[in-house]
Amino acid sequence: MELAITGLGVVSPFAVGAEAHRTALDAPEVAAARAFAGPIATLPEAELPGARVAEVREFDAARHLGDKGLRNFDRLTKFLIVAAKQALEDAGLKRDGAWLARRPEEVGIISATAYGSLDAITELNLVAEREDPRYINPARFPNTVVNAAAGYVSIWEDLRAPNVTIVDGNCGALDAVLTAETHLAHARADVFLVGGGEVVSEPLYRALRKLALVAEGDAPWAPGEALGHGMRVGEGAAYVVVERPADAVARGARVRGRILGYGTAFTAPESEALIVHPSVDGVARAVRAAVRDAGLAPADIDAVVCAASGLERFDAAELVGLGRALHPDVLCASAKAYGGETFGAAGAFGLATGLAWLDGAPVAPVLCGRARGRLEHIVVTTVGFYGNVSAIVLGRATTPERHP
Amino acid sequence: MSRRVFVTGLGAVSSVGLGRRAFWESLAAGRSGASPVEGFETGSIGRTIACEIKDFRARDWMTAAEARRMGRCSQFAVAAARMAVEDAGIPAALLATERTAVVVGTTMGEADVIRELESAWIHRGEEAVKTRTINRYGTTLLPIHVARAFGAHGMTQTLPAACAAGNYAIGFAADQIRAGRADVAITGASEIIEKLQFAGFARLGAIAPERCQPFDKNRKGLLVGEGAGMMMLESEEHARARGARILAEIGGYGLACDAHHITRPHPEGEGSVQAMRRAIEASGLQPDDVDFVNAHGTGTDANDKVEALVMHKVFGARGASVPISSMKSMIGHCMGAASALEAVSCVESIATGLLPPTIGYETPDPDCVLDLVTGGARRAKADVVLNNALAFGGYDAVLLLAREGVLPDTVGRR
Repeated sequence: MELAITGLGVVSPFAVGAEAHRTALDAPEVAAARAFAGPIATLPEAELPGARVAEVREFDAARHLGDKGLRNFDRLTKFLIVAAKQALEDAGLKRDGAWLARRPEEVGIISATAYGSLDAITELNLVAEREDPRYINPARFPNTVVNAAAGYVSIWEDLRAPNVTIVDGNCGALDAVLTAETHLAHARADVFLVGGGEVVSEPLYRALRKLALVAEGDAPWAPGEALGHGMRVGEGAAYVVVERPADAVARGARVRGRILGYGTAFTAPESEALIVHPSVDGVARAVRAAVRDAGLAPADIDAVVCAASGLERFDAAELVGLGRALHPDVLCASAKAYGGETFGAAGAFGLATGLAWLDGAPVAPVLCGRARGRLEHIVVTTVGFYGNVSAIVLGRATTPERHP
Repeated sequence: MSRRVFVTGLGAVSSVGLGRRAFWESLAAGRSGASPVEGFETGSIGRTIACEIKDFRARDWMTAAEARRMGRCSQFAVAAARMAVEDAGIPAALLATERTAVVVGTTMGEADVIRELESAWIHRGEEAVKTRTINRYGTTLLPIHVARAFGAHGMTQTLPAACAAGNYAIGFAADQIRAGRADVAITGASEIIEKLQFAGFARLGAIAPERCQPFDKNRKGLLVGEGAGMMMLESEEHARARGARILAEIGGYGLACDAHHITRPHPEGEGSVQAMRRAIEASGLQPDDVDFVNAHGTGTDANDKVEALVMHKVFGARGASVPISSMKSMIGHCMGAASALEAVSCVESIATGLLPPTIGYETPDPDCVLDLVTGGARRAKADVVLNNALAFGGYDAVLLLAREGVLPDTVGRR
């Protein structure tokens, strides 16, 4: 696999826009403080006083998109459209809504989410259960279908090549990379937006709280450290623009980085009764497969944007799995320290973070391993709750010769 | 290495029959799966008929432990997958590897689980929500449960592509085999009828009062359906090495996006035309090679009119003479599972040379001048079959299936 990344769009709790995101990651502690500070608009704080979430505060879609046509878009759709618009502009494909390069038939989208339609389903369920199903607003019904959000992106940005939504739990956005590569290989499109989005959702938050998976209050919280407090939920959207390397060169695109390999694995739990479970084996197999797919050796990997979120058992299993697949000194940090757990979008934020690291942003906060100079190859991981794991290898725009 | 991908097993859970044989016999006989909804109160919704599965018992297809950890949608998927694997006669050891991909499509996934959770929360408060039920929620669980059922431990992927999800899943699974990322794939799609979805379609004015009559001048809309269609796909090397019976070959598939409207098709069918042409071209064939089209054919005014237009654009002078039929007249619109069940039907047409009918057709529509298969199944050449899925959100996905030996060596190159 080899794909050129030529654009980036980010709507995150600490920065909106590729350049703002990159700049913010020069000071990750400041970014994290910003992400988790301030009042929460998406949850009833009076009922959930301990909630600490990374929310995209004061997000005004109209400021980015104009104020027409937004009425029936839900929060996720607005995030996705803004991130998509930014990414297409960053890639030099569009400006002010007009195509500068490529045609609509050549550009597609692969978008991941895990719980993207949950708020819309809840909104209509509340009407159906408390009032009557005949009062459901038909204009809001499309939002209950999980691929509607990416459908709206296609309509807004006029993307007529394949439009694919992926729901692979926490692994969706990295699995989206494989989907893009597959369709590019078959010439079904020439350019793809790849990534995803997620929102802070009250029903989801309450469910995670019920399962004792969220870290509440002001107790210390750090993904990957054995504090056992749980995750902090985040939200946002991110897309990278990917295309064939030769196509990127041919149109004179700036290449932000390259995707060199993909791997995935699933491991079932030992107990018949279990559904949610961590897997050392799954992490090790997915990461090994990604490194192999990239034509690299484990020793070639300099750092890992890992999936650690504060769930002690999952974080511990991931770090053990990474140690098995790579090398004992590999440098690991989690992007969730600054943006929270974004589930289906986590891989997209992982890619954005990896690009920032390749561009010189500090790898922090370090969970394990040692820095060994300039970063050349980075692994990004996503770890699902059900034993599913996916991994990507990122490289610089130009890299030294591959391992024989 | 060959890039050919073969269908070696089929499974179907539907309102007209459980299992490959019962499903196909019903379609060939033109039986309707429509009946009054029993799964929930339809009282104020204004519509009462759907193609609901009444006789599915999870324990007939899985252990008690498996049934307990799944919602109805996953149960359908696992049951249909077990049928497909049994039909393929593939040894269990050949599935319990990293080289088995599981790709499943859906629209709403475990919709009954979320309804159960939210109903508890809304009416009885957070304390009434059971953690055991929360663990069963998640659309991504569909392929996870299927993979667990067979010990597969490679790729698992869920593609929620609305009414085109089945074609998306089957096409993508075939892509992974062609790319050498898997040797075999268990793939298809699953969907259930839930009150919210039923009410939503009723509020959109899309549901017919009694029956679904695709392409009829007096058509009144769709009937919601449910079920699962699953297939066993194998690389040519894998299938030949184990002496598998080959039912059909997966040709190319075409994807396009209307980028027009979230619920209405493009009035000129631009995306649909592209998807059909790409499926044919990716198979190394010409439009004249197509023998039969398994229609999207929802029975709604807008869809059927546009699909008829698209037939004429794609087939030109043959637009009114290529046989076409809609299974939705019998099994309803099974949403995410629709094109998967219809793909199963396509394979049966290839295997038997029988084109199933569109039932309920009475009055020709001048906007839909087609060679619709009506008045019973038709015996005809069915070596090359197109499976249309022209979905909500402008998601167009068309899959070509063919009899073994018909497709050129260039199949799957695009």
